[in-house]
Amino acid sequence: MGSSANKPELIVNGKRLDGRAFGELRPLKIVAGGLKNAAGSAYLEWGNNKVIAGVYGPKEALPKHTQDPEKAVVKCKYSMAPFSSLEEHNRSGPNRRAIEISKVTREVFEKVILLEDFPGSEIDIYIEVLQSDGGTRAAGITCAAVALAMSGIPMTDLPYATSVGKVGDHMILDLNKIEDNYSDADMPVAIGPRNGEILLLQMDGTLTKQDIKEGMDLIRKAGETISRLQREALRAPYERISNKYKN
Amino acid sequence: MHPLRQVKGEYVKGMLAKGIREEGRGIFNYRPIKITHSLLPNAEGSAQVEIGNTKVLVGIKLDVATPMPDKPDEGNLMSMAELLPLASPEYESGPPSPDSIELARVVDRGIRAAGVIDLKSLFIEEGKVWSLFIDIYVLNYDGNLFDACTLAAMAALSNTRMPGYEDGKVVREGNLAKLKVNNVVTSCTFAKVGDKMVLDPNGGEEAIMDGRLTIANDENVIRAMQKGLPGSFTEKELEHLIDMSFEKSKELRDIIVNSKSD
Amino acid sequence: MSRIVVPGELLAEKPLRIENAIIEDDKTYSSVLGVYHEDKTSLIPLEGLWYPRRDDIVIGIVEDARLNSYSVDLNSPYKGIIIAKFVETRLQRGDVVECEVKEIDETKTVVLMRPKVLEGGKVMDIKPSKIPRVIGKANTMIQQIQDGTKSTVMVGMNGRVWARGGNVALATEIILMIGEEAHTKGLTERVKTFLASKKGV
Repeated sequence: MGSSANKPELIVNGKRLDGRAFGELRPLKIVAGGLKNAAGSAYLEWGNNKVIAGVYGPKEALPKHTQDPEKAVVKCKYSMAPFSSLEEHNRSGPNRRAIEISKVTREVFEKVILLEDFPGSEIDIYIEVLQSDGGTRAAGITCAAVALAMSGIPMTDLPYATSVGKVGDHMILDLNKIEDNYSDADMPVAIGPRNGEILLLQMDGTLTKQDIKEGMDLIRKAGETISRLQREALRAPYERISNKYKN
Repeated sequence: MHPLRQVKGEYVKGMLAKGIREEGRGIFNYRPIKITHSLLPNAEGSAQVEIGNTKVLVGIKLDVATPMPDKPDEGNLMSMAELLPLASPEYESGPPSPDSIELARVVDRGIRAAGVIDLKSLFIEEGKVWSLFIDIYVLNYDGNLFDACTLAAMAALSNTRMPGYEDGKVVREGNLAKLKVNNVVTSCTFAKVGDKMVLDPNGGEEAIMDGRLTIANDENVIRAMQKGLPGSFTEKELEHLIDMSFEKSKELRDIIVNSKSD
Repeated sequence: MSRIVVPGELLAEKPLRIENAIIEDDKTYSSVLGVYHEDKTSLIPLEGLWYPRRDDIVIGIVEDARLNSYSVDLNSPYKGIIIAKFVETRLQRGDVVECEVKEIDETKTVVLMRPKVLEGGKVMDIKPSKIPRVIGKANTMIQQIQDGTKSTVMVGMNGRVWARGGNVALATEIILMIGEEAHTKGLTERVKTFLASKKGV
C-alpha cells in the first residue's frame, strides 16, 4: 500500500479512474496456443497486462533427486520482462517477489493436475509478463490454466484468478497498477470454478470480514466471465478449423 | 546429443547432401518473415519478429543515467538477450548462457557499428544522459535467432518514442518525439553443413551444422560479422556469402520499411 | 450430439464410467480438453498424451544399450525398456525401433518386445491423440498416404511417425495436416483431394 502523502483520488463521482464500475473487469482477451515448441501455450491481454504462458512435459524429472515415485512434480517460473512496466527498466532475473508468486502459482496447479498419472515426471509451467499493469499473478494463473489444458495434461478443473481491493468504503474488482499501489487493501484469489474451491488467497492491507465476503462475491461473479473466456479460447482453434469445412 | 535429435539430424544431413532442404525451400531463401510493431505500449519501443516458427520480441526502455567517465557527452546503449525456457525444451532458467550473451553482443555490434543511433543525441545535460536498453526475448526457437533479433531490434528502435526530461522527472506519456534512427542494419546468417551452405537455418539444420556465419550490413558496407562453431569457411566461400548477404539484405530492408506501422 | 469440453466441465449429473473423466459427488466431469459424444458417452482428448497399453505398437529410439537391457525413448514421460536376451541382434544407441508393448510394470516403465529396426528415414513427433486419425478406420488413411506418396510410413501410438522413400516431404505435410485437422469430418476425402492435386508435382 502506497504512502498516503501523495495518494491520488481513486474514485471520482462513483467511478474508478479508468471509468469502470466497482465490480467491473478490465477487457480480457485470451488466445490458446501460439508457441510451437511448448506442449501447450496461451497468450492473454487483461487491461494493459500482456502475459504469455508455456507448458513443457510431463517428462522425466531431472535432476533425479527431484523425482517423486508416486506422482509428477510441478515446477513453475513467473517472471516479468525488463521492459514490462511503464516506469523504469527492470533488471531481469528472479527477485523475491517473483519467487513467491511462482510458488503460490505452482500450488494452484498442484491441486488440479492429476499428478498421479505421471509418477517420476515433471511438468514445467513458464509465465512471462511482457507488459504489466497490476494483477499480473492473476493474469498468469488464468493464462497458465489455458496453456495446461492445451497441453493435454489432465486436470480436475480449469482455475481462474483475479483480485479485489478496498478504496474508501468500496470493494473494487480487478485492481490496476495505480489502484494496487494506493488502495487500502489488495486480495488476489484463484478459484476452481467446478466446485468453487479457493486455490490461492493472499491479502494485505485492512479488510473486515464483511469486506472479504463482499470481495469474494465480486470475484465469483467476475469468474463466470473469466471462465467463459477461457473455455471459448480453448475451443476457438478447433472450431475455426471445423468451420472451414462446414456445409 | 539426444538420440532423437541425432536421428532427425541424420535425415536432414542426408537431404542437404543432395541439395534439398526439409521444407523444400531454396538454399538461399528465407522462411516467411512477419514483423509486428509497437505491441507493448508500456515500453518506449517494441516489435515482434517471426521467421518461420522462430518468434522473438524486443522491448526498448530509456532511463536517465550518468554517462561513462570517458564519454561524458554520449548516452549508453545496452543490449541483453533472454533465451526463455518456454521457447525451447533445451533452454533452462538461470544466469545468461554463453549463447544468449553472444546473441545480444552480435546484435549490439551491428547496430552500434552501423551508427543506427547517434549516442551523442542521448545527451541530456552535464552528468545526465539516456541509457537505451535493448532487451531481446526469445519466445519460440526454430533456428536463426541472430537475423530475427537484429530485425526485431531494428524494428523496435524505429518505433521508439523518446521520453522527456522535465524538472528532474522522466515523462513517458503524452506527445513524444520519435527516436532518431540514422541507418538500417540487417544480418544474414548462413549455416554450413558438410560442404553445403544454406541461408536462414531452421532448428533442425542448426542442430547439425558444422559452422555458422552471420554477416550484418547496411546498404553499402559490412558492419559486423560473427563466425560460430568449429566448422571453417574458405575465403572463396566467405566472398560468396558476402555477396549473398548484400543481395538478401535488400529483401530484409524492404520488409522493415514496408512494415512501418506509424 | 458432440461438443468440445474443457477440464472440470460437467458431462453428466450422474456417475458415468468414461475414460478421461472424473467422478465426484455422483457427477461426471471432464479432465481434459476433448470432444464429448453424449450418445456414445465417449470423451476423446483433442490434445493429449499417450498412456501405454499392452499390445500398443510404438516407435522408440534406443537411448542406451547396456549388457542386459536397452533403454528406449518413447517421446513420453514413460521410459521404455527392452530386455536384451529376448532380442536376437544387438541394438545400437540411436536405432529407431518399432516395438510392441509387452507390459507396464509398477514403476510405470514400459516393457517392450519384438523390436524391428527402421533404417534411415525421417522421424517426426505429433500429438499422440492424433495418431488414430493418421491410421484411419481399418488403416484407410495410412494406406492412402503410402499410395499417394510412395513413402513407407510407420506409425507409433506414442505419437511418433517414421517415413522413408518416395515423397517424404509430401507425406510429412499430410501427416502434419491431419494433426491440425484431426477433429474434423471428411478428412479422408480432403487428404485424397490434396494428394490428387499434388500428383505429378
